[in-house]
Amino acid sequence: MRCLIFGYGYMGQVRHAVLRSHPAVRRIRIVDPGITEPSAALAGLVVPAGQPIPWEECDAIFVCTPNNVTADLCIEALRRCGRVFCEKPPGRNWEDFSRIADAAAAIPESTLVFGFNHRLHPSIRAAKALVDEGGLGEILSIKGTYGKSGGVRYRESWRNKREISGGGILLDQGVHMLDLFQLFVGPLRLVDAILQDSFWDCGVEDNAFVLMQSGKGVPAFLHSAATLWKHTFRLELSCRNGYLVASGLLSKTGSYGREQLVIGKRQFEDEALALGNPREEIIYFDRDESWDMEVQEFLAAIQEGRPPTHGTVEDARGVMEIIRDVYTLTERRTGQPDIPSPDSGMR
Amino acid sequence: MRSAETKQMFPLSSVKPLEALGGYRSFCLAATREAIEVSPRPRDRSPVSGAALEAFGEVEGLVYGRCPETGSLFLTRVAGARAWADLLRRVAERRHVPAGVYSGIVQSRAENVYVPKLDWVHNTLLLQGVRRVRVLEVVTPPSDFSPLLSASGAFEAVLTVDEMALRIDGAGKADQPVEAAILLESLDRVDDPVALLRAVSARLVDGGLIFVTALVASGFDMALLGRRSFYLYPPDRANCFSRRGLEALLTQAGFTLLEVSTPGVLDVEIVEAHLRRDPELALSAFERELLTAPSDTRRAFQRFLQQQGMSSFARIVGRKGR
Repeated sequence: MRCLIFGYGYMGQVRHAVLRSHPAVRRIRIVDPGITEPSAALAGLVVPAGQPIPWEECDAIFVCTPNNVTADLCIEALRRCGRVFCEKPPGRNWEDFSRIADAAAAIPESTLVFGFNHRLHPSIRAAKALVDEGGLGEILSIKGTYGKSGGVRYRESWRNKREISGGGILLDQGVHMLDLFQLFVGPLRLVDAILQDSFWDCGVEDNAFVLMQSGKGVPAFLHSAATLWKHTFRLELSCRNGYLVASGLLSKTGSYGREQLVIGKRQFEDEALALGNPREEIIYFDRDESWDMEVQEFLAAIQEGRPPTHGTVEDARGVMEIIRDVYTLTERRTGQPDIPSPDSGMR
Repeated sequence: MRSAETKQMFPLSSVKPLEALGGYRSFCLAATREAIEVSPRPRDRSPVSGAALEAFGEVEGLVYGRCPETGSLFLTRVAGARAWADLLRRVAERRHVPAGVYSGIVQSRAENVYVPKLDWVHNTLLLQGVRRVRVLEVVTPPSDFSPLLSASGAFEAVLTVDEMALRIDGAGKADQPVEAAILLESLDRVDDPVALLRAVSARLVDGGLIFVTALVASGFDMALLGRRSFYLYPPDRANCFSRRGLEALLTQAGFTLLEVSTPGVLDVEIVEAHLRRDPELALSAFERELLTAPSDTRRAFQRFLQQQGMSSFARIVGRKGR
């Protein structure tokens, strides 16, 4: 297969590394206007500025660009190639996403996958296996915290400039946790939300507190934050017969901590002395194959002419509906699209 | 590769009380001596590496050697295979007599030893996406675990095979292949663990899983106590692998390791129990300090042992094939 990568930032490089080792990939080209002098490692791969994009010479396209060009590029890629892998978020907003989804729907044979790799992290796959058939019983509630420290260049990042990104931490990181919620409890509806620009003062939320409910009434709560100061990923599932806590994330820097899954079984006072402190087992994982698996699945779906199994348009639609509703609710309350900072009196 | 830690806590007295072990242990040692006298067979090479065993020490006249490459311990003389099979049957029967070593703690052993193992097997199969599982327990009967496996209803079939019969005769063509095999300390006691693994592998379907538990010489209490450990005696511990040795053994047998854990909770308490039994036990000042530390400190240390793969209870999951 011949693959074309748009955007060679962090995610573009991740996709490139995976594609390079994929047995079905014959050729990779990269389009990034920011690369004016390619390194030796990229020699011959980067399409020189001013040269036409080789649309006719690609079997799959990876859109790894900032959010403000995602929609237009995805739509063009769908028209030209029909097989598109788009990094999250699926556009800056509901309108962007709808345009992408409409373009895909207009091409029945198209394959469109969004990069929700967290579903494929080992702790999440393990949790999913145990919930589905593991005897923990139905899910009673779900709670997720996903946060980062921001960092010295936080304010300068395009991710926090509304005109480019479309939103703040909720759209950037929270989108992953919303996808995971849906993985476990299905489509969600918004109950309430609070967005704040509590520290960084970028005009986009650096904190999102989102309360939701599934179709079966399972409550779900998300805290997405750029003010946790310690990188945090924690997903808690309370089930009828026990609980699961996935935390930490295998990442390049390891800054989210050791990826692990706590498995706890409910115990009542007549079953054990340890009331409120039941038997737990903690599984530690040391290998993240999520990047490889989602690209393999995307390419396999193309090769086999079947729909993809995850990161689908419907998965993305559920997530973007919640985000749309959160922003709409906030705007209705504050009367402005910018997220209020604490001193604005709008909290 | 995964590893696991447990927060389950239970006292040594509820699963393998040191004080109650004496009679059974003496029986095992005497029965082993008898078996070896009748049908002696030297083992001077490590079953893991093939290296000549180094001197390690004697346990009441029975000599153990040490694998120089992995630190695993092996009884240097065993009995012929048939005699060893008889020996294992005798000690298994002895364990199960009405006044046997575990007779007063059957329920607590079920809760603290077997139920967690059942969860382990069940959860691992789910995580690996293995469905409709025929599971084989490899043990010298009677088994305490197979009835629990059957009662769980989690498996399509539960089969039990005599470990020495399997090790001697191998897997027959008529034997039903299985998706999972469970060896609870079986590799510790058979005379030829390599042959047993070969036979188990032959019973497993391609991609089938092997679940192994073992007491390992690299774990805290075993490493500290060495041949003074009351738990080091044949035939139950004719082989006392190090964690590394066990990993190597399984890898060489064609298994890909999916999990290597040492989720033991008793290392510190075991040393403490040995010190009670023998107040003159040679321990360093640090070790004595640790044993008399507040329970929170000891618990934190035990947790550290689990997390770092340094407890003496090891469990491994391997998948047949690369």
